[in-house]
Amino acid sequence: MGYGRFLLKRGVQGVGVVWGVVTVVFVLRFITPGSPIDTVAPLDASQETRQRIAEELGLDQPLYVQYLDYLAELLQGNMGYSYISSIPASVQVFQKLPATLELAVAASLVAVALSIPLGVISATRRHEPADYAATSFSLLGISTPNFWLGIMLVLVFAVELNVFPTSGRAYGFGQTLAAITGPEPFFTVATAWLASLFLPAITLGTYFTALITRLVRSGMLDELSQGYVRATRAKGLPETLVRYKHVLRNTLVPVVTVLGLQLGTLIGGAVITEAVFAWPGLGTEIIRAINARDWPILQGSLIVIGCGFVLLNIAVDALYAYLDPRVVAE
Amino acid sequence: MSDTAAAGESRGAPAGHPDDVLRVRDLSTRFFTEEGQVNAVESVSFTVRDGEIFGIVGESGSGKSVTALSLIDLVDSPGRVTGGEVWYRDADLAEEFRDRLPDAVDGEFVDTRRLPKGVRRALRGPAFSMVFQDPMSSLNPSVTVGEQIAEAVEVQRRATANPRRTRSRTQGYGMGKLIADTLLPNRGFTSESSMNRAIELLEQVGIPDPAERAHEYPHQFSGGMLQRAMIAQALAGEPDVLIADEPTTALDVTIQAQILNLLRDLQEQAGTSVVMITHDLGVIARMCNRVGVMYAGQIVERGTLSDVFETPVHPYTQGLLGSIPDLDDPAPRLQPIEGNVPSLLDEEMGGRCFFADRCPKAMTDCLQPISEYDADPGSDEHTARCVLAEREFSEADALPPDHFDRNEEVRGDE
Repeated sequence: MGYGRFLLKRGVQGVGVVWGVVTVVFVLRFITPGSPIDTVAPLDASQETRQRIAEELGLDQPLYVQYLDYLAELLQGNMGYSYISSIPASVQVFQKLPATLELAVAASLVAVALSIPLGVISATRRHEPADYAATSFSLLGISTPNFWLGIMLVLVFAVELNVFPTSGRAYGFGQTLAAITGPEPFFTVATAWLASLFLPAITLGTYFTALITRLVRSGMLDELSQGYVRATRAKGLPETLVRYKHVLRNTLVPVVTVLGLQLGTLIGGAVITEAVFAWPGLGTEIIRAINARDWPILQGSLIVIGCGFVLLNIAVDALYAYLDPRVVAE
Repeated sequence: MSDTAAAGESRGAPAGHPDDVLRVRDLSTRFFTEEGQVNAVESVSFTVRDGEIFGIVGESGSGKSVTALSLIDLVDSPGRVTGGEVWYRDADLAEEFRDRLPDAVDGEFVDTRRLPKGVRRALRGPAFSMVFQDPMSSLNPSVTVGEQIAEAVEVQRRATANPRRTRSRTQGYGMGKLIADTLLPNRGFTSESSMNRAIELLEQVGIPDPAERAHEYPHQFSGGMLQRAMIAQALAGEPDVLIADEPTTALDVTIQAQILNLLRDLQEQAGTSVVMITHDLGVIARMCNRVGVMYAGQIVERGTLSDVFETPVHPYTQGLLGSIPDLDDPAPRLQPIEGNVPSLLDEEMGGRCFFADRCPKAMTDCLQPISEYDADPGSDEHTARCVLAEREFSEADALPPDHFDRNEEVRGDE
């Protein structure tokens, strides 16, 4: 089976999964108590007004008609309109998405940059102080709750030491890029951007870092005991090549899988971190939409997150196939 | 044993045949496990000559493979080579270290155990290389076969490109270079000419369509083809000594003969010396010029093929030879050696002949450490670690058959 066919197969499977997500998200609305009409209609609205609103929103139709309508609209890229602000849900969601993506990518960059070296050091210096330090760190990282870590970081670095802002997002990545040519001084913009991103990224990335450190450590120890390592050394290859070209590469196969899956979780899991840091992303938007029973926004957000998951999975599979040629063969 | 350890500091290479390329003296390797110290290789000595095949034969767990790994300094933790010398003949290397490490040099010989770690690593490939037992697990599954052989070629190319050869070999291949080679397109550790050489090597070991197969992964090869590729990889550095550790054990019987023929042909073409490690006496008889028989971490008898096969002295060697069927006379029952290979745990071994508890001719003399005796005054090659090389068996001195059982009971009661 060729590489192209392999990806095509994964793509078709992905479409199926997205359809499943859409259906679940749609059904969710009908098993949740409270009607959106209550939110939209004034408190003293008459039965006629409520009826009119229901007709406007299409809520008076039978369930399957509503479902098919919803699918048809979605295929045209229309996720409905916010019950509150009447802004198209797609606009609202995609406006908030970059902030969340930025946070998730920053968190995973922190995680990858820290965890792979930590894991490698830990595995190659097994039972030495460096290994104990790395394993203790990862145990702490895995068992620290996100929200607590966030609040503590704010207390120490923002409130006490006053080196980072307590909350909010000063500039986005796009604005920072624009500042290269724009009127604002680039350096100021870039520092403000990074400063506001720093604590949220650490908060969100800590668990992830700890998890991958453990994975890399155990994976690498496992690989180091394989017969080919000895054979590679026997042909006189420098230890750098043995460790990184052969052993680390094979270790990364399972790590990449977890990395990809966790990146999806990061986007979803950013909800708590975003709430702690008042980060204007999808997570904050989801909380707002739930409180306001703003279903189109909630549905749109969940579908976007679901699609993200699926795309990441396909990317992981593609990378997996690149790292381990046996995957394509099977 | 004790006198060699005392005088062991700087007495140069052991005497031997002028054609020797390798002289190993008193090599000992221990494993420090949670159950205790395991003496996997115990004071092993042997020599290997130019262009010969030296066989090491023994049961599973007798220390054959650990001996091989000790030679090329690849014993993994918790194991460690704890003593002994591995004298390797290399005039250039000897010249380079003559002033810096006078203890490690004797004539054209260098004691590789006393060389710096980087130099020892650099000897893997051009001096020693190894063919492993299981080709499937001895190649990286996610790198193409050709690339892996090309790496072995490349590492030697890079070393010889620089006139200060050992120096340049010990200079590491740093992280910076590795990252650049990995990330930049059209860059990599191996060059195109190394890849071409790898394809040549594949052809030399009899792999059809080598240019295409070089780009395949190990899982696309059959076991026999993969072992051929392993041999190609081991030959990439044009080694002086090729160590073949059970090279045919994991293969089908029909393939075994092919691989052995291939090894012999290549060995004859290149004049490489081979250390052939196997449990199969048939392989030894067919391939080797000289042979050492290992038991419980020691070489108990060594000599030329005819010395060991026709006039064995050690009862263990006699037992081994008695346990193979004779095609001409299949009538007599095979004679297995009673009992099992002893535990190699240090505290359980004691200072005696390790075979005494299974030996039909054990005597009171066997309860002390046994050194290597010259088994045949006519030839200085045939030695045995057995008192029978020096004296006849006598009933008067024989140990009672339950001697070791009683000792165990006594120990158990304590």
